[in-house]
Amino acid sequence: MRTVRTVKRLAWAACATAGALAAAACGGGAGSGGSGAVLSSSWGDPQNPLEPANTNEVQGGKVLDMVFRGLKRYDPRTGKAKNMLAERIETTDSRDFTITVKDGWKFSNGEPVTAKSFVDAWNYGASLRNNQKNAYFFGYIEGYDKVHPETGAQSADTLSGLKVTGPRTFTVRLNQKFSTFPDTLGYAAFDPLPSTFFTDHEGWIAKPVGNGPYRIESYTRGSAMNLKKWDGYPGPDKARNDGVTLLVYTDNNTAYTDVLAGNLDLVDDVPATQLKNVRTDLNGRYINTPAGIIQTLAFPYYDPKWNTPGARKVRTGLSMAINRKQITDTIFRGTRTPATDWTSPVLGADGGYKAGLCGKACTYDPAQARRLVREGGGLPGGQVRITYNADTGSHKQWVDAVCNSINNALGNDKACVGNPVGTFADFRNQITQHKMSGPFRAGWQMDYPLIQDFLQPLYYTNASSNDGKWSDKRFDHLVDQANAEGDPARAVQLFQQAEGVVRDNMAAIPLWYQNGSAGYTDRLHDVALNPFSVPVYDEIRVG
Amino acid sequence: MSEKTIERPTTDEAALAKELEAEEKAAARQASLLRDGWADLRKRPLFILSALVIVCLLALAIAPSLFTARSPFSNGFCQLQNSMNGPGSGHLFGFDVQGCDIYTRTVYGTRNSIVVGVVTTIATTLIGGLLGMLAGLIGGWVDMLLSRITEVFSALPIIIGGLLIMSIWRTGDVWTVSFIMAILGWPQVFRIMRGEVISNKYNDYVMAARALGADSWRIAFRHILPNTLAPVIVITTMNLGVYISAEAALSYLGIGIQSPNISWGLMISDAQDRFLTSPHALLFPAGALSLTVLAFIMLGDVVRDAFDPKMR
Repeated sequence: MRTVRTVKRLAWAACATAGALAAAACGGGAGSGGSGAVLSSSWGDPQNPLEPANTNEVQGGKVLDMVFRGLKRYDPRTGKAKNMLAERIETTDSRDFTITVKDGWKFSNGEPVTAKSFVDAWNYGASLRNNQKNAYFFGYIEGYDKVHPETGAQSADTLSGLKVTGPRTFTVRLNQKFSTFPDTLGYAAFDPLPSTFFTDHEGWIAKPVGNGPYRIESYTRGSAMNLKKWDGYPGPDKARNDGVTLLVYTDNNTAYTDVLAGNLDLVDDVPATQLKNVRTDLNGRYINTPAGIIQTLAFPYYDPKWNTPGARKVRTGLSMAINRKQITDTIFRGTRTPATDWTSPVLGADGGYKAGLCGKACTYDPAQARRLVREGGGLPGGQVRITYNADTGSHKQWVDAVCNSINNALGNDKACVGNPVGTFADFRNQITQHKMSGPFRAGWQMDYPLIQDFLQPLYYTNASSNDGKWSDKRFDHLVDQANAEGDPARAVQLFQQAEGVVRDNMAAIPLWYQNGSAGYTDRLHDVALNPFSVPVYDEIRVG
Repeated sequence: MSEKTIERPTTDEAALAKELEAEEKAAARQASLLRDGWADLRKRPLFILSALVIVCLLALAIAPSLFTARSPFSNGFCQLQNSMNGPGSGHLFGFDVQGCDIYTRTVYGTRNSIVVGVVTTIATTLIGGLLGMLAGLIGGWVDMLLSRITEVFSALPIIIGGLLIMSIWRTGDVWTVSFIMAILGWPQVFRIMRGEVISNKYNDYVMAARALGADSWRIAFRHILPNTLAPVIVITTMNLGVYISAEAALSYLGIGIQSPNISWGLMISDAQDRFLTSPHALLFPAGALSLTVLAFIMLGDVVRDAFDPKMR
């Protein structure tokens, strides 16, 4: 069984700041035209043109979520993948899938959405020459190694695993068994594309055309994007407002004060500095819900010091020396939740989240921590240095707090120190070049709400986001079994067993789940964040 | 004949003695210029004030443990449950984000600030002074070369230079920061020194000494150096304060002193994003920094007033 290539996804912190370079467009208020039911929302310029397979940061993702609909859509509340454009996705062996597209769907330019719209889009996204950031999402499909080889030139233009079999049907053959593959199809990379995307690419980039409840009216880089409700939208989730104006802010503090002043309707990601007063400021119009992000401390298993049975005890001891509750309460003011497993609460119990799976190993217990570290032969090298990047996401505060917690618990003020690396890029380079000598910061934002996405890319042998090169035969075997399992409930159980292996070895120390937050004015109703921490715009009512 | 041959040197010797005497007189006049300045200084209240503050700061820097019962490096010094608590009994300045006592950290941070200031000042004065003198004295291609090198260094902004060096070293402490600032700060002293040396080089008394056969080293150190010292002393005293604040700026930006070392700039940086809700964590280290910088700049100011001949 081959592992599937996944690109490093620890970039979430960098993503949050992407596009924050242009000048702020404050003022302005709600959109142009004077339509009353248009809301304004804080935004940042997308990093890349809005090609679905090339957008892996949250600001571009926000727009794609409004102007596109895929085969599946993740329920904004439960995170469950539900059929959207898919009429049926059938398989008998968890490897060959037959997908039938619903009738009656159109792009906003009138072109019908067919099986070909999907297959062409996926081939485009996977092809090396198009250099799409999300290409690795197609890595499960047979023939990916031909159209997107790791090195050298591609030997095919299209994925051999994709075949159009009718106007509304196509087949997908995967390169391994992957029973939950249909549930990954809600990700933007799998969105369909109209033929104008290929025939008039420049024109499409200038004004993207999709099949979602909104149409892009205009976009001025560094200032604003106007989206209008598409009246002809055939889907069930029609927009309940007349449009959304996304205003570019470089500083979310400014956006926040604009919400207080009534110049802006919605700010997502309330700045940390305002968290103390946000509830009174906004009179309850504040959301703080778990997002699909977990923070962990990963370890370098390529360093023999950390790859011993004793080091396993040391890692567990370190985990028990961290007072997660106190750190999330004081440093993060409750916008993080102490982690008790290696997934995320947004999966829900059915999806594989299991509160307390980590058990005692994630419970603060200084005495036990001291004992385990001693039994494990003490800290490798006498000291742990937690490596992190100093440029984004104010990691210093929590790293210092974690170190203080470990030092206090172990009764040694030199047990743990932070080791900042100047830039995120340098930090990532040092990780990929295997230069870590101790624990390092790892953040994982899910690609789709499946337990598989929290385990396989991170802990499977040689999975390419397995930065610490952890390897365990039992874990690999359980993941293989889970992927081959046709019954979703049974697959989840197998994944949880695999997660148990991660726990028993403390392959990575889970720290906390990250929350998403938003604040809004009293003009808006029914504001919610989806599992990706993006506001569910189509449900918002204005007035 | 032999008597005459002996006699001649004696007359020469007498002339030399006279010359020496004149030289000593010049030196005495120089010394009295310094003495004049010192007498002038002592009378200035601003000097007494800044000197008092600096003496206190030096005491803090030398023996911080006399001023606080706690040690910021002891185990259990930072307790997260105290995070951001305001000033209270036993904790004069309150606590920072990590629940560490701000008073103790501010006291212990003094040493790093003073050491960086003093070390950088000494280093820039030595490098800049020595090279400036060489350039001024020798002139020609040496002057040309050194001046161009100076321009290269002074064209490099301190922040970019700091980033560059820190990205190579990766760890920041007092010595790396002093090194960065010395490397980027010496051109200023160089220029002043070189200018002073050139303007003094052709003064009558130097010409006289040269005519009387004094060698170049003697001229350089006995005649030129004392006359260039005053401006250099003035600029270095003023720079001391500037370097202390530059250290804080570098540390604030994360390219200076790094934790677990303590620096006021670092403390300010850590406290800034909670300034609106708990200002105390920022105000105390910032106040200490302002006071220190102010004391040194004030000192530099009065020293200039006292020593600069142009101000008289």
